Amino acid sequence: MSAVDEADLEHHGLNARQMAFYRFRRNPLAVIGALIVLSVILAAVFAPLLAPSPESAGSFVDFRNRHAPPSWAHPMGTDNVGRDVLSRVIYGYRISLGLVVGVLGVAVPFGVVLGLLAGYFGGWIETIVMRFTDIMLAVPPLAMALAITAVLSPNLINAMIAITLLWWTWHTRLIYRIVKAQMNEDYVEAARVAGATHTHILFRELLPNCISAVAVKVSLDAGFVILFGAALSFLGLGVQPPTPDLGTMVATGSEYMPEMWWQAVMPGLAILYAILGFNLLGDGLRDMLDVEL
Amino acid sequence: MSALLQIEDLSIGFTAYGRHRRVLHSVTMHVNEGERVSLIGQSGSGKTVTMRTIIGTLPMPPGKVEQGRISYAGTSLLDLSTAERNRLKGTGISIVLQDPMLSFNPVLTIGRQMDDIIRYADIRSRRIRSRAERQAHMIDTLRKVRLEDGARVLDSYPMMLSGGMRQRVLIGMALLNKPRLLIADEPGTALDVTTQDEILVLLNTLVAEDGLSLLLITHNLGVVREMADRVYVMERGRIVETGSRDAIFDAPQHAYTSKLMAAVPPLYGARVKTVAHDEAREMVAIQNVTKDFKTRSGWLQRLTGSVRAVSDVSLSVQQGDIFGIAGESGSGKTTLAKMILGLIPPSQGDILLDGRAVSAFAGTREFRKLIQIVYQNPGSSLNPRRTVADQLAVPLKFTGEDKASIVQRISELLDLVELPQAYKSMYPHELSGGQKQRVAIARALSVKPKILVLDEPTSALDVLVQSTVIDLLNRLRAEFELTYVFISHDLSLMRNFCNRVAVMLRGEVVEVGPVGRIFDTPSHPYTRALLSAIPVISPEEEARKPKVTKEERARVLATSTAMEG
Amino acid sequence: MVGYILRRAVVLFLVLLGLAILIFVISRIVPGDPARIALGPLATAAQVAELREEMGLNEPFPVQLWTYLTGLAQGDLGKSLLTSRPVLDDIRAALPATLELVLFTIVIQIAVSIPLGVLAAIYRNTWVDNVLRVASLIGVVTPGFVLAIILQLVAAHYLGFFPVTGRMDPALDFSADVTGLLIVDGVIAGRFDVVLDAVRHLILPSVALAAAGIGQVMRITRTAMIEVASRDFVEASRAYGIPERVVTFRYMLRVASVAPLTILGLEFASLIGNAFIVEFVFSWPGIASYGVRTILQKDLNAVIGVVLVSGVFFVLANLIIDILLGVLDPRHRIREGRDA
Repeated sequence: MSAVDEADLEHHGLNARQMAFYRFRRNPLAVIGALIVLSVILAAVFAPLLAPSPESAGSFVDFRNRHAPPSWAHPMGTDNVGRDVLSRVIYGYRISLGLVVGVLGVAVPFGVVLGLLAGYFGGWIETIVMRFTDIMLAVPPLAMALAITAVLSPNLINAMIAITLLWWTWHTRLIYRIVKAQMNEDYVEAARVAGATHTHILFRELLPNCISAVAVKVSLDAGFVILFGAALSFLGLGVQPPTPDLGTMVATGSEYMPEMWWQAVMPGLAILYAILGFNLLGDGLRDMLDVEL
Repeated sequence: MSALLQIEDLSIGFTAYGRHRRVLHSVTMHVNEGERVSLIGQSGSGKTVTMRTIIGTLPMPPGKVEQGRISYAGTSLLDLSTAERNRLKGTGISIVLQDPMLSFNPVLTIGRQMDDIIRYADIRSRRIRSRAERQAHMIDTLRKVRLEDGARVLDSYPMMLSGGMRQRVLIGMALLNKPRLLIADEPGTALDVTTQDEILVLLNTLVAEDGLSLLLITHNLGVVREMADRVYVMERGRIVETGSRDAIFDAPQHAYTSKLMAAVPPLYGARVKTVAHDEAREMVAIQNVTKDFKTRSGWLQRLTGSVRAVSDVSLSVQQGDIFGIAGESGSGKTTLAKMILGLIPPSQGDILLDGRAVSAFAGTREFRKLIQIVYQNPGSSLNPRRTVADQLAVPLKFTGEDKASIVQRISELLDLVELPQAYKSMYPHELSGGQKQRVAIARALSVKPKILVLDEPTSALDVLVQSTVIDLLNRLRAEFELTYVFISHDLSLMRNFCNRVAVMLRGEVVEVGPVGRIFDTPSHPYTRALLSAIPVISPEEEARKPKVTKEERARVLATSTAMEG
Repeated sequence: MVGYILRRAVVLFLVLLGLAILIFVISRIVPGDPARIALGPLATAAQVAELREEMGLNEPFPVQLWTYLTGLAQGDLGKSLLTSRPVLDDIRAALPATLELVLFTIVIQIAVSIPLGVLAAIYRNTWVDNVLRVASLIGVVTPGFVLAIILQLVAAHYLGFFPVTGRMDPALDFSADVTGLLIVDGVIAGRFDVVLDAVRHLILPSVALAAAGIGQVMRITRTAMIEVASRDFVEASRAYGIPERVVTFRYMLRVASVAPLTILGLEFASLIGNAFIVEFVFSWPGIASYGVRTILQKDLNAVIGVVLVSGVFFVLANLIIDILLGVLDPRHRIREGRDA
């Protein structure tokens, strides 16, 4: 690319949107990522229709069928009380995606707005917000989340609260960095000369320039929120049984390792599958939108 | 005389985004031993691709030599092995890249970078020199580019040197291994005109002293006239005209060459247009304005002093003026503009717009309907993520226009700056540089201001585009009886566009008056030094430029050879 | 340079102080009575009242904070409800194990990720790059605990060479008294059987811990190298005849290494966080295991202590990185000096 300057590209007759689309199309991994994410979302939404044995999602027990290895009837085998692992994995995606929506739905808008304010106004707002994010950065996130859920009593909502409390800072830092760079551009001053209000400049001028980066980050984040929630549950501080959470399933299943490996490995791979999808999609978007995180 | 560099029938293609495109079409050119040759072209003409192919840094792929040959001193470069090719780099052919900051490795000292260049060339040619010998050679070379304090320069990191010094060091680096052909890519264009002039003089001296051959790549015709024996003109990857310097400048044959020449604003002579100045109502009054910026440093951002950016400036701009404020970087001209716009307050003094103090009504609706600004770089002053219509609507929305009248006004504005209505829904990246600047002008005009501050509105544009934008600004001024405050470092342009000019140096106005007077009989030594440094395109202009002696120059300007601080 | 280090140290110290206050505030504003939380629902009102008194919960909040901070300054982290010992002693006992694990992991991370990232950049868009990209992606997306379990399963049960849990074979009868790090103390004592055993124990947990960071750092190294490759000075160096290998490893890598090093520092907190999982799975006797146990027991003093100590490590790691960056890139220390 380095030798092909702007003027050269113009002669290719492609505008930026076409170039972005070209980059996405030429990136099969991104397409695969999008398909994986789609399959996870569909599984979560249509879980009652897709799961071979929807009753396995609850505290259903079938002791005759316990520890059954993968077969046509139970493609991922059954667990220690005879529940179908595949059905529990499908329902598990509901929990995971619920967690993603809950955490990012709060953390992203909050973090983005704080980042915009800190970058745009500077001064004491910048000092307070950014020093606070510096402090949050020094805390091992998992340790903090563990501590919070432990004190609040472990369940899905509290896990969500704990992760949300930690997550917004990353978006604040990202947006802050972008806004700081954008503040050197003349269009911000031009808007001010044109009489635009702070609200207009923040949300109409600056925010549109942050959207691509946020889109990429949200896609990557979705995977890591799933990972985080599963890790909490794995340590017994997230979702509690019998709710079919993937992390809890790995933890319970690992007691039957290595002989009855499927009980831990299958949900583990299911987590990996979802995270992989969100990561591939995020990477694809990053290349396509040409943003740096 | 034999050809040192010979390019025959060279065609280069690129493959990007799944499409293939040819960027050089059968280029044939040569440089003789000891000759100075210039390759002229605007951005995107293919001159940089040509340079990269010669020195062997063109990435392939995506680039591909489709046909033709390049030979240096009789050997065909494209047929050489990588090792043989590398042996010529820096020793046979060397380059000076355009940007004197980016061309250095920021994390290594100058000495380290120069030493590496010598060492690896020595290894290739199986020559052994001690550290002390190499050090002596580096200091010699720096002296050659008129840097006397060599030892100190070698110990510095690039960021510690001034722009002019970096450019000198860069030339020194290119000369370390005594190349026979030097390729210079827009030398000095990133620098102020007085510094650029020093660099051009230096290059000419070096070529003469060492019998170097020079291939100069530039868009600036004035530079070409000072630096070339022979000229090639390139347009869209094709050589459209070639000949001796005088032949090209006196009687250009190709229409493109003539167009380029005509677009360069003349400094003196019959082509100069003088814009008249009529006494009228005072629109901008700057009264004894001073601006100090506080500097902070250390642990807790303590105040450690202040820098005077603008010092006791008084100016008067009248209705209908195109008032030029000329100055090099650091002269305070942009700070002055920001104070006129009410974006920063003066430390002392007053600014009145149409009789009212800026401090009394800056930021109000009336203020915005009185004065607006067009910035230097439309790539930065337009928001990349908003459509043309969105951006034009902003000033209107905040002066209380309703939706219907905003839509109506946007159409009018596009007509006004001669852009098709379909551009409304386009994003800035879909427009060319000139079109973007037209959008920026339309935005400034949207609320029908009486005064426009133009902050180098054409300096980011090619010379051909510049003249069309200037024509547009002239037309708009006549049509709406506008007053312009025009900030620029380009004196040739100011000569033809402005009717009055103020020259600034380090925060002070050293000279002010009607253009004719300032250019024909400049009284301040700095104005004279500035004018004499401008590269011009005809012998007549050259003859009429003020003559400035070295001593006279030294009194007003620090040379770029001295270390700062 | 000394001034630069001092300035960075002061900034990082302030971060640490802020962290201490933040954790304390959080531990006091959570809904419910900390004494009741600690003792559980079965404790009597009298027991709760007694613990409240002992923990100083009846004092006004600013007094509590002051007492806590002055205690901290003297190295007093309070008493653990779980072990009934001072938290500091517990942490001191568990620290070397974690330190050894984390240091070993970081060495693996740097040694693997940066060279591979450079390799991917040099051969970008070829099969080498694609293979490396997929590998780094797998590293990033594999949850630490899933990887840990799979490693245990495959390596330990089917190959038998790597021990599944613990830090040292008890049969070796060795106590690390000098530094607490088995590898270092083993070398000092000339007990190479201990060193070998320690490395065998370390491999699986550190691979599980390193995977995510390796992927991340490799990717960033690749991106940074590609970005630096397009800068003018690289073209200039080539044109002046500097050999390609020098351009890549001396000129480009030095400029490009700023980004991955910064990320290594920032990701250090995640690394310690992941250690909670990995130590738990491998029964590694470090502070993260201690942390999980005390968290499950709602032992507030101990939890605060563990989080704070992790913060100290984060700060130290970043100080080291800052110093490295200052050495690598003169602009860093000069710029900091100007506007820090």
